[in-house]
Amino acid sequence: MTAHRPRDGRLPAEDRRLRDLHDSTRSNIMASTPSEYVTLVSCDGFEFILPRSAACVSGTIRRMLDPSSKFSEALTGRCVLETLTGIVLEKVCEYLLYNEKHKDQANVPDMDIPPELCLELLMAADYLDT
Amino acid sequence: MKHSALTDFLASNNISAAQIRDDYDRRVAEANQQANEEAEHNEDEDEGDEFTPESPEDKAKKRKRQQTIERIKKSKEFARRKSKSRRTGEVDSDDDDDILANEMANEKSRPAPGQLENCEICGKRFTVTPYSKTGPEGGLLCADCSKNQVNNNKKGPAKKRGSGIGRRQNQSKLLDGEAIHGAQSLLEMCIKKVAENIEDVEEFGDLPPPVMRRLSQILSRRRAVSSKILNLFLRRNHKELNIYDCARLETDDYHRILALMPDLTKLNLRFVTPMKDHIFHYMIENNESIRDLHLDSPNLVTDECWRQVFTKIGPRLQSLKLWNLNAAFDDETAQVMCDNCTGLERLKLKYVEKIGDETLTAISSLKTLKYLSLCLLRETEPEPLLQIISSIGSNLQSLSLEDFKNADDRLLQSIHDNCHQLVKLRLTNNDLITDSAIASLFRNWANPALSYVDFHGLRDVDMSNPAGPPDPVGLASDGFIALMEHSSSKIESLNIASCRHISCDAYETVFAENKQYPHLKELDISFNGNVNDYIAQRILACCPALTKFVVFGCFKIQDLKVPRGVVVVGTVRAKLSVEGILQDETL
Repeated sequence: MTAHRPRDGRLPAEDRRLRDLHDSTRSNIMASTPSEYVTLVSCDGFEFILPRSAACVSGTIRRMLDPSSKFSEALTGRCVLETLTGIVLEKVCEYLLYNEKHKDQANVPDMDIPPELCLELLMAADYLDT
Repeated sequence: MKHSALTDFLASNNISAAQIRDDYDRRVAEANQQANEEAEHNEDEDEGDEFTPESPEDKAKKRKRQQTIERIKKSKEFARRKSKSRRTGEVDSDDDDDILANEMANEKSRPAPGQLENCEICGKRFTVTPYSKTGPEGGLLCADCSKNQVNNNKKGPAKKRGSGIGRRQNQSKLLDGEAIHGAQSLLEMCIKKVAENIEDVEEFGDLPPPVMRRLSQILSRRRAVSSKILNLFLRRNHKELNIYDCARLETDDYHRILALMPDLTKLNLRFVTPMKDHIFHYMIENNESIRDLHLDSPNLVTDECWRQVFTKIGPRLQSLKLWNLNAAFDDETAQVMCDNCTGLERLKLKYVEKIGDETLTAISSLKTLKYLSLCLLRETEPEPLLQIISSIGSNLQSLSLEDFKNADDRLLQSIHDNCHQLVKLRLTNNDLITDSAIASLFRNWANPALSYVDFHGLRDVDMSNPAGPPDPVGLASDGFIALMEHSSSKIESLNIASCRHISCDAYETVFAENKQYPHLKELDISFNGNVNDYIAQRILACCPALTKFVVFGCFKIQDLKVPRGVVVVGTVRAKLSVEGILQDETL
């Protein structure tokens, strides 16, 4: 699998994947200043770092990260999504960036969804309110 | 010279290592020489194709080739390819025949399946098969390179869409109320993808009911709900079933629905032509929980069966919606319905052919009714409607009376006097109700602001007098102003299509600088010819929540600045510019 790097290069290249579950220092740094980036973690430990604005396309993630909520997700900038596997979350992240990229465009091209993934992704979309 | 152990061993067996090396060197030298000769020879041959051959050997070769070409020209394959190229519109002449035959002769000189050949891309030696692909230079490719080539080709040709198709798809999306800028939601994209691949789905899993409903809508629209796909929707733990097109289901499928979902409380099936009496009998005997029964066109069910249904399960029905009944369901059945459905809160009867005034009178006895929607095909008198309003109007939250041609101003007066809880009001297609009656309905009405108003087709129809009578008939300026004053705070959906006597001044008053309709989401002003660019722009400014703006037949709208998120439907050759959107093509 490849890292999600926006095609046009306008969005930062940091949204790479880490396999390291115990990267606590990163979380601490995020706690001190609300970062421009947030981390989404799948149930099998894949981490995806993407711009906050893109992540907040999802209503569920937006509410998790709302600073006034005082949820631990909001404090650390790190959302652990226990119901999603890495493969599904990868596709979700792809959608979030795709949505962000195309929000000001007419006639947006469809995103490619592999048929074998679409039921799982459908459940994820329902859960994430995207 | 020092001998190795191996050389010694070979020598003891009378084999000379030197001999072996010499033999090897000789073979290599010979092979090189042969390869060089061959290369030169090939070059000669290539030149021979292009230039006039001189040597007798070349002449023989040319004759042979000529024969091959003649043979090819007679072959079936040649005829087939010729007709193909003719179909594709290429000019057909003798020259082309020669070119085609030459092409085929060259193809024939390729290595036949089974022979060895070097791959054009990677240079590897491989066995030629019928599936070997041709490389970019015309040579053959090995299995791996062939595969890559196919993959590249698949991605290669980008979908090219003519501007006409793009426009048509845009219009289709507009009619569905979909904004054409920005990305769709992931949920919607996934639902569409699932619907596309529905044949491969084995089970839906725990999809939530709203998603199931949306899937059903998409599949129904494609008329794809067959017995097999119905199985996906039959979930024992679900309490409702919505299938919007049952045209491909058979009588047995209805049995299965009832048998597999015994806890069903809401049954919503449309286009249920094969539904017969015995399914209702089964329902009466086996299902104890159905409260909401919505059926479109169950025309094989007899009156007798309907009456049985109402006497048996009538008391527990909370909502009943029936559409398109013409073979059965008469006034007497309706009377049985009204006598037995003592808890009915919602009633919708649309395009039911055999009922008329008597049914209307019977409906006025349904004291529990909160939502009433009627659209009859028979002509009715105005009095039974008055009776309905006066006896049950005070409970009604929703009142929809479509196509009651004979309803008059007394109806509005009665609504004004009796209805005080209405949220939704629909009165359509009538040319007796006057503007002043509508105005007085809304002035000093005890009813709170309405959310949903549909007055389409309330207008005078007189071809010889397009301006209408001096005292306006239908929803005109005065009524419109009164309506919007009364309901401005809550109105969400407004349909005033064809109410063409509303003046420009009235529009300007209603959508003036200081007016706001904060909740208005859908507005239909089709065939209101007075609406021009200025008024349309005022409307967009006064309705910040607007999502759908329908303007069929408003030909004065030519140039409109549309805020984001608003879908404008029905413009003709108008220039629409959407704020902050990079527009690829004009609509």
